[in-house]
Amino acid sequence: MTVATINHAIAQADGNMRVACGFTDTDTNMMTDDKTKADFSRCIETCLDSLYGLALRLTRNSADAEDLVADAVTKAWSAFSSLEDRNRFRPWLFRILHNRFISDYRKKSIRPVEQTYNELSVDSGEDDLTSLLIKQPDDFLLWWSNPEREFVNSLLGADIMSAIETLPEAFRITVLLVNVEGLSYDEAAEVLDVPPGTVRSRMKRGRTLLQKALWTHARDAGLVSDEIKRCTS
Amino acid sequence: MKDHNDDHAIEDIDCMEAINGLYAYLDGEMDDPVLISKIENHLCHCRSCYSRTEFEKTLSERLRKTAGEQTPDRLHQRLRNLIDRF
Repeated sequence: MTVATINHAIAQADGNMRVACGFTDTDTNMMTDDKTKADFSRCIETCLDSLYGLALRLTRNSADAEDLVADAVTKAWSAFSSLEDRNRFRPWLFRILHNRFISDYRKKSIRPVEQTYNELSVDSGEDDLTSLLIKQPDDFLLWWSNPEREFVNSLLGADIMSAIETLPEAFRITVLLVNVEGLSYDEAAEVLDVPPGTVRSRMKRGRTLLQKALWTHARDAGLVSDEIKRCTS
Repeated sequence: MKDHNDDHAIEDIDCMEAINGLYAYLDGEMDDPVLISKIENHLCHCRSCYSRTEFEKTLSERLRKTAGEQTPDRLHQRLRNLIDRF
């Protein structure tokens, strides 16, 4: 018996079964649609808070964030059948949302597109990064290890997001995806459509710049004691 | 005379190399056990890199805690209506 014959027999048996149960082709299609819809809904539900959180941080506006999520969900549904590995749903959906943000929402976002740290190009070599890491954090580490640490620690949570806001977009989105939303480097690479090595590099730069922003914020907010200022001046 | 640690000696790395691998190490994205050992060995005797690592761990925990946005009920409802119409 050939494979084609077997398949034909299975199809015929399946058809007979549906007929025996009183189902028409239309009924069967509807049931398939309902099941797919239910699967889709479940997938959305499992990552909705995270998706909304990312949209909120990208748009900085709850109304835009809700529109962006709705747009991404609509787009995702139209392509859902092409997603072969449902385990990749989360990065796949995040990628859709990120692409929608870039194509439709970034223009009206309050965020200026220009880079804050012009001296560092997004994916340039390692020398400038290492130089920054070696030079910059000494003040920070001295401050961090001093007795004010606990006090500063209690305030830091509220200020971290505003420090993240100062990062150039490529670093900001990478730090958000990995450190806030908990995506792996591979998943973040899939969302951003870049190689995993680029995510690795952006994480180093993003986190270094974040340290610098936090240090500046702490100093400007008067959270650094005169003693430490003297030590680091 | 052979030092008893020689059999298990881990090649030392400098701060630059440690820092280059630090974030991947902390994010659980490093799969080279030799490099992991080198970084951990370096952190054992470098106060500066150890302090940086402790800070980065704390910052990472804080960043994770900033997640947890609650989707508004109206968005839940909007998406239910949307999916019903698909």
